[in-house]
Amino acid sequence: MSASLEHEITLRPDFSLLTVKLQQGQKVHAEPSAMASMSTTLDMKAGFKGGALKSLGRMFGGESMIVNTFTASRGPGEVVFAPGHLGDTQHYHLTGGSLMLQRGAFMAHSDGVEVTGKWQGAKGFFSGEGLVLLKASGQGDIFFNSYGAILQIDVGGDFMVDTGYIVAFEDTLMYNVTTLPGLRGGGFKRLFFSGEGLVCRFQGQGKLWIQTRYASPYLSWINQFRPTRNN
Amino acid sequence: MKYQMLCRPAATAIRFHLDQGEGITCEVGAMIAMSSGLTVNTTSKSRGGAGGIIKGIKRMFSGESFFLNHFTAQQANQSLLIGPAMMGDCVHHTLSGGTMIVQGTSWLASTGNIEIDTTWQGFTSALFSGESMFWVKCSGLGELFLSSYGAIYPIQVQGEYTVDTGHIVAFEDTLQFRIGKAGKSLIGSFLGGEGLVCKFQGQGTLYCQSHNPPSFGQLLGPKLKPR
Repeated sequence: MSASLEHEITLRPDFSLLTVKLQQGQKVHAEPSAMASMSTTLDMKAGFKGGALKSLGRMFGGESMIVNTFTASRGPGEVVFAPGHLGDTQHYHLTGGSLMLQRGAFMAHSDGVEVTGKWQGAKGFFSGEGLVLLKASGQGDIFFNSYGAILQIDVGGDFMVDTGYIVAFEDTLMYNVTTLPGLRGGGFKRLFFSGEGLVCRFQGQGKLWIQTRYASPYLSWINQFRPTRNN
Repeated sequence: MKYQMLCRPAATAIRFHLDQGEGITCEVGAMIAMSSGLTVNTTSKSRGGAGGIIKGIKRMFSGESFFLNHFTAQQANQSLLIGPAMMGDCVHHTLSGGTMIVQGTSWLASTGNIEIDTTWQGFTSALFSGESMFWVKCSGLGELFLSSYGAIYPIQVQGEYTVDTGHIVAFEDTLQFRIGKAGKSLIGSFLGGEGLVCKFQGQGTLYCQSHNPPSFGQLLGPKLKPR
């Protein structure tokens, strides 16, 4: 089992494409419908990877229960993955630690990596990211995507991110949900009128990835153009 | 204050480096991330004074929010990341005493003593330009950051220049504009899909955007489920 995948991410950040080159017998696992094209030497098989519990965990983490496995069973070949919307793709190599991913950010991973949901409790509820985040752990490669471009931030101490813009973070970072400094004294009024609402405050040492766009404001904007139902 | 434009042109974000005491005023909701040595103050006023409720209400008419967020660095070496809501680029313009008229939703952030107010561009402009009736008026000394839908391009107008309605991001107030037809005849203009256009006159900088949000919305909207 080879843990490292030969890969290339091109056309960043707006139309990013991930190309994975597989040796004979090598495998890559990806979320359903991520595959754009592939060599004919590859076989695809859909399955509930990691068993029922891990699959359910993924479902609560905003992903599909199904994971597609691409195997280079008839010789070496390549497979190209693309995110569902315009945006960036980022690679991370896991070496025994864990990576937390925003709901829906998972794209593909190599053998040796497991992706499941992780209960976040109350802070998940307030963060607007959902009660369950995705957790990738093990040894190997993981690829995740975003809406908009991805920026890497090396957190050393203290950093705040608007809750909608978090893509992924190493689990060496602690986080809690808070209001912005300066808004605290103002109570609820400030909190609601600033438009910034709640932020995630990361503490510790580790890497954090954020996206430069957030789909939700765009969706509220397009909503005004929807036809109205005739009663 | 230093700034850096990242990930241009479709998913542009601006990273500011602020030293102690330095500040930026941003559109509500523009903040993506920041270091913890910054504080935020939400007011309906421009930094340091004038404004208040009336200006806040006027801003709402221009398509901006009633409130403004002022970010101030309490310590040295702080960073602030901001970005617009829509896919598109950002541009920087230095104001040295002049006035910039900005299309409602394009104002993103400004520094220093830039006064943010709302201006009335007249009835005909409002009805036919496809833009808001009120525009954001930025004047004073400092740096101004604007956002667009799609790419943004500057035009140095000398004399006359025509822009399709909906494609204006901002222009200097040394320019005057009036609504006109794109072609010689009105019918021809509409058949050509251009309809009415804005005709600028004078000397000054004009910023245009490659895409027009209402057109895109009208293209996509009917394909969505009814509300």
